[in-house]
Amino acid sequence: MANAILTVKDLRKVYGDKVAVDGISFEVKKGEIFGILGPNGAGKTTTLEMIETLREIDGGSATIAGIDVAENPYEIRGIIGVQPQTPGFQDKTKLTELLQMFAAAYGEKVDPMEFLNDVNLGDKADSFVENLSGGQKQRFSIVAALVHKPKVFFLDEPTTGLDPAARRNLWKMIEKIRDRGISVIITTHYMDEAEVLCDRIAIMDGGKIIALDTPKKLIKDLLAKGFTKEQHVEQANLEDVFLDMTGKGLHS
Amino acid sequence: MKNTIWIAVIVLVILRIVYKITKRRAPASAKSVSKTSITSPWQRKFFTVYVFAKLNTRRFFRDRLALFFGILFPLIFLFVFGSISKGGSNGVSFKVALINNSRSSFAKQFVTQTEHNKLFKIDETLKTLDEAQNKMSKSQIDGAIVLPADFGNIQADHPTGQAKVYYSPSNDQAGRALISVLQQQFDAINAKFVSVQQPFKVVGQPTKQKSLTGFDYTFSGLLGFSIMGAGIFGPMNVFPELKKQGILRRFHTTPIRVWQYFLSTMISQAITGLVAIAVMFFAAIEVFGLHVVGNYLEIAVFLAFSIMMILGIGLAIGGWARNERQAAPLGNIIVFPMMFLSGIFFPRFLMPTWLQGITNYIPMSPVIDGARQIITEGKHLTDIGPQLGIMAIWMVVIYFIAFRVFRWE
Repeated sequence: MANAILTVKDLRKVYGDKVAVDGISFEVKKGEIFGILGPNGAGKTTTLEMIETLREIDGGSATIAGIDVAENPYEIRGIIGVQPQTPGFQDKTKLTELLQMFAAAYGEKVDPMEFLNDVNLGDKADSFVENLSGGQKQRFSIVAALVHKPKVFFLDEPTTGLDPAARRNLWKMIEKIRDRGISVIITTHYMDEAEVLCDRIAIMDGGKIIALDTPKKLIKDLLAKGFTKEQHVEQANLEDVFLDMTGKGLHS
Repeated sequence: MKNTIWIAVIVLVILRIVYKITKRRAPASAKSVSKTSITSPWQRKFFTVYVFAKLNTRRFFRDRLALFFGILFPLIFLFVFGSISKGGSNGVSFKVALINNSRSSFAKQFVTQTEHNKLFKIDETLKTLDEAQNKMSKSQIDGAIVLPADFGNIQADHPTGQAKVYYSPSNDQAGRALISVLQQQFDAINAKFVSVQQPFKVVGQPTKQKSLTGFDYTFSGLLGFSIMGAGIFGPMNVFPELKKQGILRRFHTTPIRVWQYFLSTMISQAITGLVAIAVMFFAAIEVFGLHVVGNYLEIAVFLAFSIMMILGIGLAIGGWARNERQAAPLGNIIVFPMMFLSGIFFPRFLMPTWLQGITNYIPMSPVIDGARQIITEGKHLTDIGPQLGIMAIWMVVIYFIAFRVFRWE
């Protein structure tokens, strides 16, 4: 792939005699949203953590923008943004101060307000993280991972525990990030999320990638095999009711 | 007090100046000018340290729990221990029972005189020797003075008599001291009745050099306690919590290095520690009359160095431990022996010589000895080379270990 930003080749991770990640290979293009799906224990998080330099790579290689992850971890950390599963921030620190700290961790000086306004948290600038709602915290966590304008952005199950409106909000945010040319790699348990959000997805099971394509293509392939689902047409579901009654705006 | 706060401010200003200077020295970058004006790699690294130190210092003053344990708690200790050692240093006095079995006017006079004598504190509730002996056996009084029935009877042309001093053999020293004090009283009385030329006399002359009072020892010990509490118990409790919430893990995904994180923590700890110590100085001077002989700048420099060195122990424990259950036992094993062996609660000169020799080398001892020598003896940093040497060695050893065992999660 000519415009690949992330290239993973035969990546392996072994814990004792258990193979967590079993020689997987894939590429992520510049400016796409790439989803990694799979049941718990499939090796999704381990894969991400190896690429994020948090875990040692036992075999194979990963390169981001031509830089080898194992050889230059500090350079890699400078060009990736990471949003962990549970966003943890130190308490009694203002949002503006936290953004200053994260920027400083990359040796950068930024205008925190610019970033906060970008995710509609401008009026919370002087609040502490512990006083934010779940959705606000998630939005803040994402913006904190982007202060240094990374090339690749990793999100580990970002919408777990959010209400439907906050989820949709987050999807919009992630699409906006993609549209700026940042490659987004996301793990999720929600198939609707993967279908709506991801340009391409890899399905992992037992440490291996068992399918890799666009969501549409994967569905088409399944239907081509003669798969039929019980037809059940409804004009709306309960989620639509919920969203209609509580509003879709930027609240959470 | 003011000096110490000024020094904290100066440290921040110096850091800012260092940052500005490195900024100026940065070569004009060939790359296109980025949004940030920071260009040299080292400048970036110290900018990271500066921002972390500044914001974490600010955070400390918002945290009520940290303020309590950092400032109020040592202050409470100061008042408790200060009151105890102040009571003891107000000159010697004997708690005694005075049992008068005589009716002579001289005996009565002697009793009133003794009651007014500051050397004696008379327990008025004790009327019989039995009661007195009971209290003596519990070490609640130092002895009993008994005036027999014939005490003060006139023989020849002046009153005579023999007072008896009872004391417990387990409190031998106090008993002997009491006898000799009483003998002096009698000598003075005797001289009035019988004029005898005394060929030899002894006269006391206090020297001008101030000796260390009990409070001086207590205060440097309490400084040590405050430094140790903030430097070891602080990170020992905070780091496992930061790991549990994934806060350190998040920093781990950024290019920040462990040394940058450590250095910023050392600086903010030194600043907050000096503020806490400034409050203690203020209370010690105002309430307990501590005489600070030493130079405040030297005191601050020495204590800042001490705070950073001791903080390394906390960073090693907290940085190594995965959770509180790992941190607490290890921390206590290190902290408690150090607390008792380094002179925090009682001066090390009370220890047997061999133990003094060994405890000289534990990390807290040079901190407490050095602090006392600068503060109350007015020594300079150049005079306490041995202490600074031991501290420097520990600084290297402690931080070497802390770097090796640190884990972000």
